Amino acid sequence: MSSSRRRLLVACSLVFVALAGCEYDWGQFIAHPTVEDRVRENLSGRLHAPGPVAVDPDSFSFAMFGDPQVEHDNVNNLGRLKADVSAKGIAFFCALGDFTEHSTPDEHDSIVKDFQSVGIPYYATIGNHDLYQPDGWEWFKTTFGPSCYPVVIADRVKLIFLDTADGLLGPTQFDWLESELDDGGRYIKIVGTHFPVFDGPEPAMGRTASTGERFKLQHLLQKYGVHSIVSGHIHGWRHTVVEGVNHFICGTMAPGGFDYGSGKGYLLFTFAHDSLSWQRVVFD
Amino acid sequence: MLVGSDARWQVHRRFGITGGVALSLVQHNGLSALALGADASLLDFGDIGLAAGVRHEQWNDWQAGENRAFGLVTAGPTRGLELAAGAAYRAPLFAAGRYASPFNWQSPVPEWNLLYRVEWTFLRRKQAEVSAWIANVDRFTVHNPQQVPFGLRGAYNLGREWNLLGRCGTAINGLSGLILSLGEVAVEVGVQREF
Repeated sequence: MSSSRRRLLVACSLVFVALAGCEYDWGQFIAHPTVEDRVRENLSGRLHAPGPVAVDPDSFSFAMFGDPQVEHDNVNNLGRLKADVSAKGIAFFCALGDFTEHSTPDEHDSIVKDFQSVGIPYYATIGNHDLYQPDGWEWFKTTFGPSCYPVVIADRVKLIFLDTADGLLGPTQFDWLESELDDGGRYIKIVGTHFPVFDGPEPAMGRTASTGERFKLQHLLQKYGVHSIVSGHIHGWRHTVVEGVNHFICGTMAPGGFDYGSGKGYLLFTFAHDSLSWQRVVFD
Repeated sequence: MLVGSDARWQVHRRFGITGGVALSLVQHNGLSALALGADASLLDFGDIGLAAGVRHEQWNDWQAGENRAFGLVTAGPTRGLELAAGAAYRAPLFAAGRYASPFNWQSPVPEWNLLYRVEWTFLRRKQAEVSAWIANVDRFTVHNPQQVPFGLRGAYNLGREWNLLGRCGTAINGLSGLILSLGEVAVEVGVQREF
């Protein structure tokens, strides 16, 4: 993507936000539960995290994507993912936040039906759009469970979902993350979250905010041999390897033109022969 | 907690050189940051000038560091108001054994960031002045585009060439997602001696 196109899209996005903002609850931009609030609730044990799905332990595939961002018209790209489920043998999918555009009740209903219509199990973590109404966090946790949690698939691949809906991780989530990563090298580890850590040579605003948090997170990913960190938010595709850690911005499933020219699609991981490979799937 | 020191040499009426060093005492013990810079006043009209510098910042516990080079166009269009805008090249470093070098500019994730600084001195007395600032570049740090740092700065003349300086600030985080939150509050206190 060219930098001029990128800046234009950022400007268009801001204009879009200004125009569409009447459906947001503007107070939530400030009054939302903080990441510390949400993480402490996640770790309280009161929220039920989804368990491991049953897969062929020797070979399985799963999709990761972000930002379906359905609106009232319920236009989205999940039907195209559904079409790939059989063809590509996708056992489950991971949705990395921003499920709806405005987080309104009708959009909530739509996205849950759409997720279920794909017909395979799924895991979810939260994005900033999911907090745009006063009941956003309540809806998320009662519908999907915690926003940060681990799950181990086939006793070999560990998925760790982080809550970065504010663009921050916070100290409690960092402590929890390190305890989850410190597994003695038993698992192939993938971290899934909404905000990316890096966003190329001319980044706009859309990545985790704090310099200290970004450097600490990269340190932990390196230290514990994480295979990949996968994120959304940017509505584009990017793959960067930083000291052996794959950083993916996995494209977008959003309707409309809000992508950086990389097309709609998802990231497909395949576990086979005790190793993990990946493939970018772009919808035609 | 950081302990820092910096110095400024006004080589010429229109040209100055700055340098600084900061040490971490509680976490990341050891060297935290190095700074070297220069600034020049080009035009008396509007106090138009240029500033440039290099910075090195490191976090020893995380074996991570970053080298930065930056340039700014500065202006003082009216008394008490200072403006600056420019760009920084950042080279984050994560390789063990290389992150601590201020001379290593090979990064897997280099990037360019826009810089800005607005400072308004709204209170000026014989012995003291207080300013409000919004800036993503300061003595040792360049903040991410996702943050909007702001705060207050004050100076108090202790007599003769000694000044007491104070600065406090925080940052609005999360702009791109519109889920806003304030970062940690940073407080700096120091003394300045003019020679």
